[in-house]
Amino acid sequence: MRLVRLQGKRLALPLCTAFALFSLSLVTTSSALAASGNSAPDTNQSVPKPTPAPRHDPPRGSSGYDPVVPGQKYGDLRVKVIDGRTLKPLPDAEVVVLETEQRFRTGKDGLTPWIKAPVLRSARFRFLVNELHGQLNLISYKNGYRDSVHMGVRMNEGATTRTTIWQYKIEPGLDRRVEPVLFIEPYHRLWLIQLADRFRRPTQLGEGYEHP
Amino acid sequence: MVHRAWFPLRLLSALTLIGTVVALFNASHNIAHAQISLIGQSGFPSMIRVAIRENNMSGEPDPRGRIIYVSTVNFDQYCRDVIPNEWFPSWHPASLESGAIAVKMFAWYHHLHPVTVGGFTFDVDNTVNFQTYKAFSDQDATDRAYYRTRPLAFVQPSGEIFELNYRAGYENSPNWQYRNSQKMSQWGTQFLASQGRDFLQILQFYYVGRSLVQIPGVGKG
Repeated sequence: MRLVRLQGKRLALPLCTAFALFSLSLVTTSSALAASGNSAPDTNQSVPKPTPAPRHDPPRGSSGYDPVVPGQKYGDLRVKVIDGRTLKPLPDAEVVVLETEQRFRTGKDGLTPWIKAPVLRSARFRFLVNELHGQLNLISYKNGYRDSVHMGVRMNEGATTRTTIWQYKIEPGLDRRVEPVLFIEPYHRLWLIQLADRFRRPTQLGEGYEHP
Repeated sequence: MVHRAWFPLRLLSALTLIGTVVALFNASHNIAHAQISLIGQSGFPSMIRVAIRENNMSGEPDPRGRIIYVSTVNFDQYCRDVIPNEWFPSWHPASLESGAIAVKMFAWYHHLHPVTVGGFTFDVDNTVNFQTYKAFSDQDATDRAYYRTRPLAFVQPSGEIFELNYRAGYENSPNWQYRNSQKMSQWGTQFLASQGRDFLQILQFYYVGRSLVQIPGVGKG
């Protein structure tokens, strides 16, 4: 029994050393592979390495970017920019459609030309309750006025949409910290009712299902 | 003896009390009659008083919020700025027309029955307490529906202006449960319109026994 134990101790030491050396070699191999840029050993040297596709940033705004995508649904949008205090139209304001990077200037009546704008629905709710209208985001700039960010403009396919942006004049002395003004157009109430009903549990009725 | 002396006095006071109760009942009855407004007798509103309630923390008008001020708004403009917030501008024209008449009659009824809350007298507020109103939110499709139906009113057979109320209802259904509940289903109007019903048929489906009449002196413009 003693002999067997001694032999076991004698055998255990070299076995542990060998295992430690083997694991060290594995670590060095994988780290070397990682440093060389390959996650796995290249078993076929004759196959050329795939070259990454050249990346082209999409052209932007006035540089020829066409926001019209085949299959995409569109609506007609017209924006009116007014002075938020006097409610009079603001000419020569620049309105940017964020999703398409298009820029438009307002005329004397504060109106932009008709814009062919996409109807984009949020993918977040697509499998829950389909959004009944698309949403667009706009920014309006005008010298001497606070920037106005207008989010969630409701867009419908094939329909015309009009929206109004309020801009506020910067008045030195009164306006000490000048930052953009945000307007968020809410979801339509009919959609909110559907969304709330979608997740209502019979045991947790809340205000209850829609009823007469 | 003392009791006999007091008897006529007690009888008199009892009769006085009964008379007062009867007079009050008659007065309230008369007031109720006075509040009935018939089409043609009460002119088409030119303005409406809209109470603007304070916003909640996310920036939306709070139905239970404090009234900040009362805005006097052109009646046509008010209706035009309500319809796209209650109906979808992309819906069928017949649905929008039935909605335009409902919005107008609701506003007209409340214009005739103003309320006073917190010291402010107004006809409607800008929240779902009455109808969702947002200034400058009118859309072309809903404007067309409004002006096509502007000379028309949907009233009781006697000509009485009453409140055309409505609720959302459910999609892709005529919403039978709303029929003759004095409330029209908005989704139901779209469903019926897509089935080929015109705005009058839709109104008659939900408000049974009412009449469509021409408003005297009111045009489409």
